[in-house]
Amino acid sequence: MSEILKNRELQLIVMALAFLLVFIPYFVQSPALEAASTKLITITAIVNAVTLVLALNSQVRRGLNIINLRKTGWYFKAYMIITMVLMVVFAFFGRETGPYHWVMYAVINPLSSVNYGILAFYMASTAARAFRARNTQSILLLATGFIVLLYQAPLTGAYAPWLEPIALYFGNTFGMAAGRMFLISVTVGAIVFGVRVLMGKEQSVLGVGKEET
Amino acid sequence: MSDNGLMKTLATYDRRWVYFVLFLVVVIPLLRPIGMPITVSPDTKQYNEAINSFGDGDKVFFTLNTEFSGYNEIQSGIIASMRVFIENHCKICIAVGHPEATGIPELIFQKLEKELEENDYEYGRDYVILGYVMPNEASVASMSQDFHGAVTRDWLGKPLDDTFLADVNTWEDWDLIADFTTGLATGYLLNHFALRGTPMTVNCIGVMIASQKPYVDTGVYLAILQSMRGGAELEYLTGHPGPGLTAMDAFTFGHYMLLIFIIAGNIGHYGYTRKLNGGNR
Repeated sequence: MSEILKNRELQLIVMALAFLLVFIPYFVQSPALEAASTKLITITAIVNAVTLVLALNSQVRRGLNIINLRKTGWYFKAYMIITMVLMVVFAFFGRETGPYHWVMYAVINPLSSVNYGILAFYMASTAARAFRARNTQSILLLATGFIVLLYQAPLTGAYAPWLEPIALYFGNTFGMAAGRMFLISVTVGAIVFGVRVLMGKEQSVLGVGKEET
Repeated sequence: MSDNGLMKTLATYDRRWVYFVLFLVVVIPLLRPIGMPITVSPDTKQYNEAINSFGDGDKVFFTLNTEFSGYNEIQSGIIASMRVFIENHCKICIAVGHPEATGIPELIFQKLEKELEENDYEYGRDYVILGYVMPNEASVASMSQDFHGAVTRDWLGKPLDDTFLADVNTWEDWDLIADFTTGLATGYLLNHFALRGTPMTVNCIGVMIASQKPYVDTGVYLAILQSMRGGAELEYLTGHPGPGLTAMDAFTFGHYMLLIFIIAGNIGHYGYTRKLNGGNR
């Protein structure tokens, strides 16, 4: 049975059928097909939720293995497992009050916020040191960045309203063009990837190591 | 100090000076706000008009696709938007796309207790918190096609049958998706709700603006609220100062500080580094 399930062709056929079942109802109005598509999506959502339990199991097993072998940084794994188990236990005492609530607001919230806040220092330092007018391109980048940064400071609009149309022009032309280009290229890339998967040329998604060209 | 010494200092200053000055220009205005004037961008005006076009009984899917960290950047927009929806008597369903965000609704409602009381908001009848129900695309797709097939209980395990969500079945039953995001499930909401026709607005962090603006231009989003600055502008428009407007002094000083460091660095580059390299780069 397991050999049949490992069969690549069978896996590809199942994948193609699942794809068509979800894809076709976008173009063909058929209540039966839509119902089947919806059911399949709901099943996928439930299976995805169950994979969280699988991930938990894998993390604990891998972590315990690293701790047993005393590999580099094993204590981080021990810390991870302890906090993971504690949070699961805490959740049984309720989430509106009690230890889960305390950890959420007194530990995770400030730690997460500090982590994010620190980024501002790195970004400021990087921007201050990287923006150098070394050649024509970097002078253009610097000038544009300077205008947009100046406009982004809320006070600027109060004493230099003439800057707004210039900054908006950069955003609505060059910025928008770059944003569209990025979105379109990602979408086209995803379509190409999907077609390659269905043609059996990207077998990494099936858990098979090497992909074919 | 000689000219060369000054140029060398400007070109090679220690990055810790940037950290130190940034710390000062952020902390001092937060401790002693000045209340500097701000201007309202056209995007925020459009956003304000968009969310105010929804009113009595309209069902709003209020999605928090952020962690606690990102919440700090967009909390002003989240709270100001939620206040508008409450004052307009919309029905609000909160869903989150990150485990950390399950703690955010409590932070929002703590700040809007007065509005909830004044507008007689009751849990279940007027608002519901679903919790972490958008972990992946399949969940969002499932909610768009068979809401009760995907979600049967709220985040505390209470059934949804007695809530206003009993009438919600597919993407067509929502009047608006108000998304607040650092990324996460926003793309899924776009694919399975907005691109099918559910009206959607977004309040995103600064680095996402360039990638989200094209959706406003093409009409997929009704409007966009840009980062903390947009949130502060919305607070100003709605007449309820909050964390956004408080942060705007620091925001202004932080930007100006960065510009000064960039100018100083370039003066140092031309006065010292370029000469050192014989005029090349």
